[in-house]
Parts: sequence; C-alpha cells; structure tokens
Amino acid sequence: MNQYTLTASHRNVLFGAMGLGIVCLILTWIGDDAYHTRFWTNFLHNSVFFTMISAMAVFFIAVCITAYAGWHTNFKRVWEAYSMFLFVGLGLLLIVALGVYMHWHHLYHWSDEAGVQNDPILKGKASFLNKNWYLFGTVIFVGTWAFFASKLRGLSLEEDRVGTTSFTQHKSMRFWAAILLPIIGFTSAAMIWQWVMSIDAHWYSTLFAWYSTASAFVSMIALTILMIIFLKSNGYYTEVNENHIHDLGKFLFAISVFWTYLWFSQFMLIWYANIGEETIYFRERYDNYPSLFFGNLVINFLVPFFILMRNDTKRKFGSVSFVAIIVLLGHWVDYFLMIKPGALINRNHAMGHGHDAAPAVGEAAHGAEHGAVAHTAEHASDFVAGFSMPGLLEIGTFVGFLGLFLFVALTVLSKAALVPKNDPYLEESMHHHVI
Amino acid sequence: MENKVNHTEVIYGLYNDEEDLLRAVKSAKQDHLEIYDVYSPFPVHGLDPILGLEESRLHQAGFIYGALGTLTAFLGMTWIFTKDWPIIFGGKPYWSVPAFIPITFELTVLFAAIGMTVTFYIVNGLGPGVVNNHLDDRITDDKFCIAFDKSQVSSEKAQSFFKSTGASEVNSKTI
Repeated sequence: MNQYTLTASHRNVLFGAMGLGIVCLILTWIGDDAYHTRFWTNFLHNSVFFTMISAMAVFFIAVCITAYAGWHTNFKRVWEAYSMFLFVGLGLLLIVALGVYMHWHHLYHWSDEAGVQNDPILKGKASFLNKNWYLFGTVIFVGTWAFFASKLRGLSLEEDRVGTTSFTQHKSMRFWAAILLPIIGFTSAAMIWQWVMSIDAHWYSTLFAWYSTASAFVSMIALTILMIIFLKSNGYYTEVNENHIHDLGKFLFAISVFWTYLWFSQFMLIWYANIGEETIYFRERYDNYPSLFFGNLVINFLVPFFILMRNDTKRKFGSVSFVAIIVLLGHWVDYFLMIKPGALINRNHAMGHGHDAAPAVGEAAHGAEHGAVAHTAEHASDFVAGFSMPGLLEIGTFVGFLGLFLFVALTVLSKAALVPKNDPYLEESMHHHVI
Repeated sequence: MENKVNHTEVIYGLYNDEEDLLRAVKSAKQDHLEIYDVYSPFPVHGLDPILGLEESRLHQAGFIYGALGTLTAFLGMTWIFTKDWPIIFGGKPYWSVPAFIPITFELTVLFAAIGMTVTFYIVNGLGPGVVNNHLDDRITDDKFCIAFDKSQVSSEKAQSFFKSTGASEVNSKTI
C-alpha cells in the first residue's frame, strides 16, 4: 500500500481532538483574567511548538539533501507533510502577531509603549522588540520557510511524475535546500527571540535560540518515529524497517544529549557569572517552578539517555515509541517553562499597574478593577492555575493542536505516494542496514 | 589466547573481494564446514551475523568504566572541596554541583575511552611489542581469508570448497 488514505475513524478521532482543543481554549478564555493571559500563553505556546516542529522538518529535509544522505528517502514524505504545517502555523502566529499589534493581549512587556518610555533596557531594545518587527518577522520569515517547504515538496512530487535518471528535480532541490539552510538558521533564531525569549524582555541569552531549536528538533524526531510506527501498524510503509527507526532513535538520543548540553551551558554560565539581570530568569524558575525545572532534565535527558543508550532499545518499536512519547511531552513542558513564568510576571505587573498598560479601553478599566487583588499575587509564590503547572485545560489545548497538526500532516500524506519514486537515493534507502 | 592458537594445522584460501568472501562463508555454513576463522583487512558488513558471532560486550564494559569515571570525579571533587581543602570560589557554596558537571563529564569520557581501549587490547592480544602470527601478510592489506582446521575439515574437502567458491590461492600452515 503506497497510497495513504485517511480513514473516517481516524479523521473522527482527530476532529474530536481538535474539538477538545477548541472547547479548552473557550473554557480558558471564559475563566481567565482581564488580559486573557492564560488563553494567549496557551495559544502562543502550542502555536510556536508545532510551528517550530514543522520548521525543523523542512530544515532537516534540507540538511539531508545537502549532506547527500539517503537513509531517510523512503519515508521523506512524512517530513514533507510535517513541513506543510508551516502554512497553518503562519496563520496561528499571525493571530498572535496581530494581537501584539492591536493590543489584544499583554504577553510582552515591550509591546506597552508607555511603559517602554520609562524603561532604559526596553528602550535600548526597542529597535528589535517592537510590534512592526514582530509582525514583519512572523509573516516574512515563516512565510519564507513555508515557501521553501512547498518548493521542496513541489519538486519532490514533480520527481515522482516526470523524474528521469538525469535527476533534474533532485539537483534543483539541492539548490533550494542550500539556500534555505542559512536563511532558516538565522531567521529561526530571530523569531524564537521574538516569540519566546522576549516574554522575559529584560533578560537575554545568546544560547536561547539554539536551546529551544534543539528542543523542537527532538520533538520533530519523536513525532516522526511515532508517525512511522503508526503508519506501519496500519499496514503502510512495509519498506521502512527497524534500521530506519534505529537511525531515528540515534537522532532522538543524540539531540536529547545536545539539548541537555545547551540547557546546561546556558544555565552554568549564568550561574557562574552570577549577574543579577541574567540570573533572574533561572531564579524565577528555580524558586517557583522547582518540580518542572528539575523534572524537565529528568524526562528530557535521563529517560532518553539511559533507555536509548543500548543498541536494541533503538530498534524495538515498543521502547523507542515509549521514549518518543515521553520526550515529546517533555519538550512541550520545556516550552511551557520558557513561556509561562515570564508571562505570569508580565500579567501581574500589568494588572498591578493596570492603568499604564492599555490593551484596549474597556479592558484597561476591567484590569484596574482586579489590580488590587493581582498586586498581592505578584509578590506571593502561590500556585497559579495554568501557570505553575500545566492544568487540564493546557493538556486539552495541546491535544487539540496535536490533532490539528496530525490532521494537516495526514491529509498532506494522503495526497501523494508514501514512498517517493525516481529519487536517486531511493535504492540506498531501501537497502539501508545499520548493524 | 596465544597458547590456544599454537600448533593448529590450518588450510586457508584467499579471496580477492569481500563479496566473494561473504558468498563463500555462506556456502561453508550451508555445507556445514566448520570454519576455524575468517580474516579481513577491514570489517565486512554483514559478516558477523552469517558467522553467527555474538555481539561484543565491549560497550557494556565501557558503560561500567564510564560510570566509574562519573563516581570518581564527582565523589573526588565532593571530598576535596568540602572536606580536604574547602575554598570559596566566586561566593559559591563549597559543594557547587553545576561547577562539578563539566569535570565529571570529562572523566566519564576519559575513563570509558581508556578502559575500553585497554580492554580491547588485552582481549585481542594486542599491544606494544606483541608479535602476531599472521596466516599471510596480505590479509592485512587486500586479501580476504577463510581458514579451516585440518583436524575438523579434511584437505580434500577444503580444496574442493575453495575451488568451487573462487579462492585465488590455497595454502596450508601450522600456527
């Protein structure tokens, strides 16, 4: 079976997940504070997480083409399908960007023009951290990735139809892939600074983009493993075997270690230098989010490290998919920990001084009402639902976005043959054998 | 190891290509000829499963050496910086775990690397000054070799096997 069809039952499951996500988003919105911070953080968190996963998919396609790699060729349609989610991700992040522009939310302290005027640090960063850059970056940069993703997929499909042994399409793909690599390398860093790091606007780390990109990369590999095992269990992809899974398992292992390396490098330098404006990021998480802070390392480093260290655990579908699920959730929590603490501080700050942040005329007044209550919360390290720990609404929202992502990916997969034809590396991939 | 290989009369065939070697080993297995050993200048992909060799346990030894390195570094630094010679660096506590991590990592790698290398040398009877008796010097260069123990496989049987599988040369030797 080389042609995937999305069965009605699978489609219903995915629609159910998306429905759950929408219900959770609505419930979050209803029970939220005046700025709807919990809603917007959840929306941003999942949009960024899945957009970065699809960005990593197109990045890795480009890496494989440029590196003359052939092991992945028979399942490369999975990555192509993932990369097509960029168009949806562009739409989702456009909503966040318009929110910055129109002051629908108060996720970013720097989007509050009046506040920035009295803040020398934010004033200094204002040439990059401003609403125009945010909107421009989101639209142009994600749009560029999406353009390259569709270009590479278009060439791949064209190769299926008219490919010959002169490999015109593959050569053309090599051209586009080589151009994409530096572009996505720099622009993804810029966008991670805008989307995620600028929530803690006073703080910055040069390692941050690497670290969060590694996080997304691990998640992308984990989702690929799960997708292939899912398709195989439905009778597709008989050509993809434990040797391909073994290599994906190696990537899952290696990039998990790489992620830990970056996490630790960022942490240790800041801990060692002990400069107040840098340590504030970790102080907040260490003091108020200890279980997530340390749990993050356990599930994203110790679990994949010790389970996937052996040869056979990377080849057995049970163990490798177990680790893939753990690590996927783990990196979702990692993004949670990047976004929520800073957003909570921003919210408390804005609510405590509801008048100087003016998201909208009606909401500002509304915010001032709650100001007194929120101001006490600002200084207490109490449990805040949806921020201190992912709650049911966060998990439901994640399920919804995952459903959307998989629905897009599976729909794209059903549009073309699962195993490509006429790819110069197809034979190599079919005979891929690692031990 | 050295004693075990003494005084064995072997008959061996040399092949020019690893594909010929793989085919020959397969047909030897089919004919139930007991192979004494196979020699090759480089690891031949797919040879181990055909020969039915067990997976190497070297990496398990490597894990133990690595864990030993982790413990040595971490416990060593803990003792030095809290008991033996406590010094305050940059206002940090004596027992500063983040500062220990890089050295712990380095010693883990060092212990695993050296331990595995030494183990590999000992198990294979390698090392400085060790003289190895090669069946034929060319098996370290461009020839692939299958050897039979003459007490297990008769010369005639071996000769006809080498002929049918395309060996370029057949010799006997006592090792």
